[in-house]
Amino acid sequence: MAAAVEPSNIQLSYLDVDRTAQRVMAPAGLKYWLWVAFCAFLVALGGAFWTRQIYEGLGVTGYGQPTLWAVYITDFVFWVGIAHSGTLISAVLFLFRTRWRTAVYRCAETMTIFAVVTAGLFPIVHLGRPWFFYWLCPYPNERFLQPDFRSPLTWDFFAISTYLTTSTLFLSVGLIPDIANMRDISIGWRKKFYTILSCGWQGTDSQWRNFSMAYLLLAGFATPLVLSVHSVVSWDFATMQTPGMHSTIFAPYFVCGAIFSGCAMVLTLLLPMRKWLQIEDLVTVWHLDNLAKVILFTSLVMTYSYGTEAFVVWYTQDPIEIMTFTQRFFGLQGYLAIGMILCNCVIPLILFSPRARSNTVILFIISIFVNIGMWLERFVLIAGSLATAQMPSQWKFYVPKLTEVLITVGSFGWFLMNFSIFTKFLPIVSMTELKEGITWLRKAGRERHPYRKAA
Amino acid sequence: MSANHQPASLGAAAVRPFGQPQPLNWGRFSSIAVGLVIAGIVGVAGGLLTGNPQRVWLTWLVDLLFFMGIAQGGVVCSAAFYLTQGRWAGSVHYRMAEAWWRFVPLAFVLFAGVFIGRDFIFPWIAHPSVKQAVWLNVPFLFARDYLALGIMALVSWWFVSLSQTAEATVWHHEPMTIGLPPKGIRRLAPALCILYAITYTLFAYDLISSLSPRWHSTLFGWWYFATVFWSNIVAMNFAVSRLVGRLPPGNRFTQRTVRHDFGKMIFAFSIFWMYLTFAQYIVIWYGDLPAETFFVIARCWHHPWMLLTWLAPLCIWVIPFFTLLSVRSKTSPTVICIVALLGLFGVWDLNYILIVPSLSPNHLPLGWIEVLITAGFLGAFMLCAAPGLKLVAETAATDVEGGE
Amino acid sequence: MNGDIQLVGSFVTDGACAEAIEALHHAKIVSFRTFSPFPSEKIAEAVDEVRGWGRSPVRKFVMAGGFTGALTGLVVTVGTSWEWNINTGGRPIASITPYVVIIFELMILFGVLGAVSSFFFKSGLPAFEQSSGYRTRFGADRFGLVVQAAEGDAAKIEALMRDAGAEEVVREAA
Repeated sequence: MAAAVEPSNIQLSYLDVDRTAQRVMAPAGLKYWLWVAFCAFLVALGGAFWTRQIYEGLGVTGYGQPTLWAVYITDFVFWVGIAHSGTLISAVLFLFRTRWRTAVYRCAETMTIFAVVTAGLFPIVHLGRPWFFYWLCPYPNERFLQPDFRSPLTWDFFAISTYLTTSTLFLSVGLIPDIANMRDISIGWRKKFYTILSCGWQGTDSQWRNFSMAYLLLAGFATPLVLSVHSVVSWDFATMQTPGMHSTIFAPYFVCGAIFSGCAMVLTLLLPMRKWLQIEDLVTVWHLDNLAKVILFTSLVMTYSYGTEAFVVWYTQDPIEIMTFTQRFFGLQGYLAIGMILCNCVIPLILFSPRARSNTVILFIISIFVNIGMWLERFVLIAGSLATAQMPSQWKFYVPKLTEVLITVGSFGWFLMNFSIFTKFLPIVSMTELKEGITWLRKAGRERHPYRKAA
Repeated sequence: MSANHQPASLGAAAVRPFGQPQPLNWGRFSSIAVGLVIAGIVGVAGGLLTGNPQRVWLTWLVDLLFFMGIAQGGVVCSAAFYLTQGRWAGSVHYRMAEAWWRFVPLAFVLFAGVFIGRDFIFPWIAHPSVKQAVWLNVPFLFARDYLALGIMALVSWWFVSLSQTAEATVWHHEPMTIGLPPKGIRRLAPALCILYAITYTLFAYDLISSLSPRWHSTLFGWWYFATVFWSNIVAMNFAVSRLVGRLPPGNRFTQRTVRHDFGKMIFAFSIFWMYLTFAQYIVIWYGDLPAETFFVIARCWHHPWMLLTWLAPLCIWVIPFFTLLSVRSKTSPTVICIVALLGLFGVWDLNYILIVPSLSPNHLPLGWIEVLITAGFLGAFMLCAAPGLKLVAETAATDVEGGE
Repeated sequence: MNGDIQLVGSFVTDGACAEAIEALHHAKIVSFRTFSPFPSEKIAEAVDEVRGWGRSPVRKFVMAGGFTGALTGLVVTVGTSWEWNINTGGRPIASITPYVVIIFELMILFGVLGAVSSFFFKSGLPAFEQSSGYRTRFGADRFGLVVQAAEGDAAKIEALMRDAGAEEVVREAA
């Protein structure tokens, strides 16, 4: 059996966890910096086009009546969605006492932070005068004006900023013991860096007692928060009367889609990382298999939601809804909706096969398809619904221009650059929790695969 | 009771339920159930003879959906335990969730009542909605719903029999492995959950939403099966709270962590229910489209339904949430018993409020007919649950090792 | 603390460390602290038994924070609507339904801030000095038990710790 030639994970010790984490964070080589430079180049490109957009106005984009929301809002929803799986894996699975989360949650949480930061940029990019975005914040001002708290856009401001604060604090609190560990085993400027960040943590019994309680409560708060954030995002659309958007199922269905795309993004990041950083001992097939199951489950819920939407359109026989629906799937841009169904509902069905769930290549390919599919879904919902609203005389399909495309590409660069820099300076796997669950890690290494009997 | 069983002090009296088991009297349980069934038959007969067929058949539908939901929710809950590899109480929580599955096949039989009373239930039979007639017509509706009920009854039966094999029981007691449940369960559990989501969405639209054919809400199916799932959770908790003192001391339910885990389920899914309810409400509130609001306004803001409507979120979310915030109340059998009973009432009330106002917008029919028929269904449910509960009692008393 | 020296015991497993705490408790020695690389349930249980600690006070701050947040949300939304009562779309001036979202978000935000700040405050962070007896391995792969004692008791304590399975016991000035 293949398990026999696998490396030393059977006797994996606490120090092995430390060594692996240290190896991951060792000073980087040329390839790494080339990669970061490439990402930075994408950011610069996007930044240049944004600067041009600010200077010239939003007219440089493909926006125009009736599609005044398109790629930027799609990107916003996409990145917020990516963020959600991090909170799901770190908080919800923590409350469920799920064991496989330990190896992947730090990666997912880090992804959350940078995805929220990226997402938060897009409503600002979409503003004509982006420097006034703080007007959404309620504060006593000389204009004697307050934001309209009934507006879903104001909800967004509150939800996204609460989410960013909470997930940053959640990540930081979880990082403190690991940073203290790094402080103890590093030298030079890194030691100073970690000494400051660790806040003098020593892991005494009273510290751990407060830590555990704070962590549990943070998880308890993060769980309803993650539901609310993407629900609020969905209500940006669902509260409108636009056909194709006004639908009560949007809130839970957006949350589910967010987790779906987010878990796929975790796989997209984790699979190459796992190989290049050689952390197969810490992130085993068992972990990947479980992650794939979450993707499969959420994919099925997506299918259910698409199905219900279609059914209700047909059931009520509302002519406008039927028209929008027909346009969505069989209209000029129908190929986008068909592609979305393929990527989100059909291709993930491969994950029903246990063999596919343990094959990293297949997992990687599926995760890419899911990412594409979920981006398409938001585009179809937003740009597609607006393009074919109640008045056929106003119909106009939206086609993106170079500015939106490059700013979107730049956002990927921004996200990947931040993430890559993080991996070199802070531990990307939770050393503390891996040690706590080391017996599970050993089992996962020894038994290798949950479908086979232990060797 | 002999003198030497007198508690020595007030403190001893307080813990007496744990110290002195009151043996379970299954004979009495069954006779009460039979009595209730007879009351139900009297209710149906009386209602029909006094010329109230609509009240009889609407109540029949309400009770059928309520009790069938608990039974089916239980089987799905067991499947969910397998899928999430929940091994925190040996086999006990699996047996608990499967305790009332026998009502599912009975519901298949009792669904005949809906067919008999169809003219009093479905307004679109007398006043067909032309555009929707492809979907809303008697042959198709009953064919698909009977098919759905039949499939669910068969799959539930198959699933429960797989779950009670020795192989599954061994797996329940190995919380420290990463191995998956036996192969049959591994395959059937996801299928059962998918079927549940589909069939209960179907029932929600066919048997509830279609009574107001113009009304629609895309979340309605999802929201309904989440409610059904929760109704089983409170029913399980009610059973646990009643069994803990009646079983021999040291039974599984006396373990605080086990009761805590059961209690947490009420708490968590109650929040989820409120979330779904709010998600549905706010979109309708904001859109303010007459086709959506009329259903909600009639129930939430019009006499005589308003009070009963607001009782539902009170019993399903407000009371469980604020009562069960602390660990102590989640593990207290008394608190759980009261919260669960109120919760069960809340779900029944919700079913009632969803169904009846569609047919009787200005008049609240709640009298002896409704009470007697509900009692009859309760009796039938108890008879179906008795063998399952006996198994739970046996398992909880003997299976006290293993689990986290 | 009572005593002029301290003994630093290091253990390979958390179980052994917890056993040592129990043994010390049995011998009526309760002036100690532990260090561990991860939150060990066994050690926490043993320590709780000795010190009679209930659950961490952090949760009270969280409750207070959540309550304050919800109240702030209510006051801000309803207050500003009353202050500037403009009719939008025929909705009530103070329409609670959409305000629930703001109230909820602020409840979470304040609760989280309560959790994190009380965690720092109650754990004595940030700490600028290392407490004596800490070894770098206690953050990596060993469990530390530091006991304050009078010179005379040292031998007895050391024997207790070694019996429980201490890998090494070092005496140093307190």
